[in-house]
Amino acid sequence: MSKGLQLENVSVSFETTRALEDVTLHLEQGEAVALVGLSGAGKTTLLHTCNAMVAPSAGRVLINGQDLSKLSASALKIARMNIGFIHQDLSLVPNLRVIQNVVSGRLGQRSLIGAARDLLFPADDVTERVYNILTSVGIAEKIYKRTDHLSGGQQQRVAIARALFQEPQFFLADEPISSVDPVRAESTIALLTTLCAERNITLLMSLHNLKLATTFFPRLVALRDGGIAFDKATDTVLPSELEAIFDLTESSPVSEEVSDFEDRLGGRFG
Amino acid sequence: MTLPELYRARPRNLVVRGSLTAMLILIVGVWLSGAFLDPQAFTDQRQENIARFLNELRPYPLQSTTFDASVALTWAHSIMQEKGWDALRITIAISFAAITLTGIFGGLLALPAARNITRSEPFVINRTTRNRITDLIWSTVVGATRLLLIFLRAIPEYVWAFLLLALLGPTAWPAVLALALHNTGIFGKLAAEVIEDLPAGPLRSMTGMGASRLQVAAFTVLPLTLPRLLLFFFYRWETCVREATVLGMLGIVSLGFWIQDARARNFYDEMFFLILLGALIVLLGEVISTWARWYVRRAS
Amino acid sequence: MAGLAEATASSGKRRWILIAIAASGIWASVSLNLDPALLVPGEGGLAVLSEFFSYALSPATTYQSIVPEGTTPLAVQALLAAWHTVQFAAAAMGLSLIGGITLGFLSSYSLMIETRRGITRVIGGAVYSVARLTITLMRSIHELLWAVLFLAAFGISQLGAVIALALPCVGILAKIFSELIDETPRHAAHAAEAAGASPIQIYCFVLAPQALPNILAYSFYRFECALRSSAVLGFFGYPTLGFYIAASFENLYYGEVWVYLYTLFLLVAAVDLWSGAIRKRLALTR
Repeated sequence: MSKGLQLENVSVSFETTRALEDVTLHLEQGEAVALVGLSGAGKTTLLHTCNAMVAPSAGRVLINGQDLSKLSASALKIARMNIGFIHQDLSLVPNLRVIQNVVSGRLGQRSLIGAARDLLFPADDVTERVYNILTSVGIAEKIYKRTDHLSGGQQQRVAIARALFQEPQFFLADEPISSVDPVRAESTIALLTTLCAERNITLLMSLHNLKLATTFFPRLVALRDGGIAFDKATDTVLPSELEAIFDLTESSPVSEEVSDFEDRLGGRFG
Repeated sequence: MTLPELYRARPRNLVVRGSLTAMLILIVGVWLSGAFLDPQAFTDQRQENIARFLNELRPYPLQSTTFDASVALTWAHSIMQEKGWDALRITIAISFAAITLTGIFGGLLALPAARNITRSEPFVINRTTRNRITDLIWSTVVGATRLLLIFLRAIPEYVWAFLLLALLGPTAWPAVLALALHNTGIFGKLAAEVIEDLPAGPLRSMTGMGASRLQVAAFTVLPLTLPRLLLFFFYRWETCVREATVLGMLGIVSLGFWIQDARARNFYDEMFFLILLGALIVLLGEVISTWARWYVRRAS
Repeated sequence: MAGLAEATASSGKRRWILIAIAASGIWASVSLNLDPALLVPGEGGLAVLSEFFSYALSPATTYQSIVPEGTTPLAVQALLAAWHTVQFAAAAMGLSLIGGITLGFLSSYSLMIETRRGITRVIGGAVYSVARLTITLMRSIHELLWAVLFLAAFGISQLGAVIALALPCVGILAKIFSELIDETPRHAAHAAEAAGASPIQIYCFVLAPQALPNILAYSFYRFECALRSSAVLGFFGYPTLGFYIAASFENLYYGEVWVYLYTLFLLVAAVDLWSGAIRKRLALTR
């Protein structure tokens, strides 16, 4: 059984539009990969196929060698617990305290009563774990604050802490810095890559910002019109290749529909 | 700070917590006091009574025979002919008349209840003159109007109708006015809040052109607030229909009158039929009101 | 130009609404024979009217008739009636909250249908329809009509009165609760789903907490309504404020009527202000 994350000839289509076409990608355990491309290129769709929130219309997605589409509902639940997902918008419950949002990361591992206990009267060791995780993301003193009283950057760290609390093997991050100012953006990416390296977590992150992608990630995967344009070690990527990815004039007209769809995937559900 | 210190310093909303605790204690206390736990509720005698009562809810021509739709329909038809249709007409008419008056009274009272209009030199940012006495007069107007609105809505429709019926005599007026007075209290408050939330810009520019308060109200406030006021208007109409059915129990010949009448004569089948008719018309009101609010939202 | 055309069309639609309202108002006043002349009472009526309102400024301080030694003083009697009014309302509110939350769960689209798959979706849909029907029936029958039904079934019973008050309230609370939860933004729910949470966990620990401030605020508003309905129950013989208003009025003791009216006013106004303050504090900051 091979460790890591594998996509084999994955295609995804929604009604008439194709969001992903014949994508093959392999991530080793502990690897950090940045996913770059224009909006509508299929980044969000790709990330969502990795935790089976979107089912591929062709091809397979393998997590640690297990085909996600062949899993039973309960096995899929276990597989998902193993994947931390950081969403474009933060997907936090605004009127709960920080600690309550963080413990909600492991809802999947808890019974109904256990979850209620975690939320209302967390055991001391749970509180301590949350505190330690919040320390590692640098906002320990906010543990009992209401989440919507925090700044955008601090809320982003809560979302990261929540994903870490799952103790996952994989981290999927969809534009985690889109609601953060540029200075904070850099420190957030630095934090995420360091945390994942320390814990040997496989990290796949979509990014608009090319400079951050090339600075913090040893490997870049570029998407264009739903297919992989290149997949290389960062220091071997040529400037002309990057330019080609972001050349708007040649992008196909369907990408607008795909980007609409991805906006909805990204969490802006009514 | 250590973890326990952080815990002790966590922000808490004492007013909300205090209120919730007080409410919980009140509810649990009232139930534990036993005033509402009726030991007689489940005696054999009671159960027999209830069983007989349930049997009497069936239309009387069917009480001793098997169900026959045509008999039931004839029975229902004769009730509708005799009183049902007329009661429905009166109930709906009362709700219409009441809500129209509510719109007029509430709209008029909302202006003196809105702080941004009822003040000296409305909409001006830097006030040049300050006169304590005129300021005091204006704020008294606001205070008095608001007090009146609270009083109007604190007294239930049913109580208003009871008092007015004795004072004005047996016409439809007591029911209409009772509904209008209570709803004016609610509608006026909501409308005043909408007016206070208006952006100051358009109002200010009108005043800058030399328009008087009433001109601003007619040409700026009314068009700006109309869509939201219409939404409230239809919400209130829904409750007017609901209340208009029961006000009849005081002696105005809406649906409630015939329900009370059937109860007094122990015609429980007819009473039950009319109650269901009341439920139907309330539901119909809800559907129409939902549709009207959708239409208003779409139009604005 | 398109903007202008649209604006004209929309104000045209609104004009039709206003015309419809005016027409229905006119129809109603003709149909009910609402002649303003009927509002002007005869000589006797005028005397009663002016006597009644003259007491508004000078409500009675003691009973207006001779009462036997040891009768509860008027002020205490008014407070007692107010307390009974609160008791009925609070007892009904307790039942309504339990019923409203339970039925709110069962009539929630997001819990019963949206998040379910396969056979549980069919079962969920069936439960959802039955729950919707039940709460619709509950709230479309007015509390006083429920009271009349129960009076006919049980005779005068405190418990019957409380249930009559509670039933429509359950229907309304369940409807509002399920709508508030269904309208809650879904990003957090999707994140929890992606982390492996079950539908019921998502509902209880993600959607419900988000809707909770609005639910609490609405419940306090409903308490205010329950208080008014509880006062009206007095007209059916229960010892709430309505009973004393009716009794004093029928004996023509207008001074006492105003005492009870003002008590009711203060009670409802106090709860009005209280629930307003809570609603302001519960408002989400974003």
